Amino acid sequence: MSQKYTPVNVEYINPFLTSTLSVFRTMLNTEIERGQLYLKGHHKPDHEVSGIIGMSGKAVGTVVLSLSKEVALGAAEAMLGEKHDEINADVVDVVGELTNMIAGSAKAKLEQFAMSISLPNVVLGKNHTVAFPTGVTPFGIPFTTKWGEVCIDVGLCEKMASTEAGAAETPEEVSV
Amino acid sequence: MSHKVLVADDSGTMRKIIIRSLNAVNVTDITEAGNGDEAWDCFQQDTFDIVLTDWNMPGKTGLELLKCIREVNKDVPVILITTEAEKSRVLQAIQAGVSDYLVKPFEADALRAKLGKLVGVAT
Repeated sequence: MSQKYTPVNVEYINPFLTSTLSVFRTMLNTEIERGQLYLKGHHKPDHEVSGIIGMSGKAVGTVVLSLSKEVALGAAEAMLGEKHDEINADVVDVVGELTNMIAGSAKAKLEQFAMSISLPNVVLGKNHTVAFPTGVTPFGIPFTTKWGEVCIDVGLCEKMASTEAGAAETPEEVSV
Repeated sequence: MSHKVLVADDSGTMRKIIIRSLNAVNVTDITEAGNGDEAWDCFQQDTFDIVLTDWNMPGKTGLELLKCIREVNKDVPVILITTEAEKSRVLQAIQAGVSDYLVKPFEADALRAKLGKLVGVAT
């Protein structure tokens, strides 16, 4: 039987929300304020710096930590204890590690999907596009930090045992 | 007593944070490895008192590194510092002989306390 996929229920997005709050509080020593969860009508992250992680298991998909340059620089200073004026390898590494922690912590709360996470990739530049699994409209979870706005994009689909209307045959490769 | 510590993590950020905590408990003899294979090479070529390793890394994973170490050394403390917090993962690590486990994200105090206990320094 070929494997089918269907988008996960919105309730499975909550672990990404709580893990983001926890990672910013614990690793960056800052409280952030969450905005309203929404469905994104496009696959473009909101900001110019994206930390991207693929997830695979009984659910597959992509998680994006989207930050402005100002937030990335502020986060790097908070995490490393040193100031950076431009996006460089150290700042990129911080964004990758934050993405890893957010996706990893959420994954641990979604144990029923037995997922693994990829190593993080970081993409820079305005108007870049991230590919999510076919048929999946990612959820956007916006946050306000003391450095500016942040958004977590989560697009996951669950493997189904049998064919259902609207379920995709296979997910597209996660790519950027 | 001075301690020689091997720190394996593909994130330079995490290595900096861990090394900062090690320095805070007076440990300065530290070898860094940016992936699991490099860490295994370091371990084979030198003697370490403590190994601190990430789980998800290029090359050998932290779990594979732990298994390699346990084949040749049953005693050296190996601590996994990782986002892998599921019970099944922790169980895998315990079965492979992990000495301790710290889940990311973590408070700096929690890491310092764990390291201080290992090297016998009050934090």
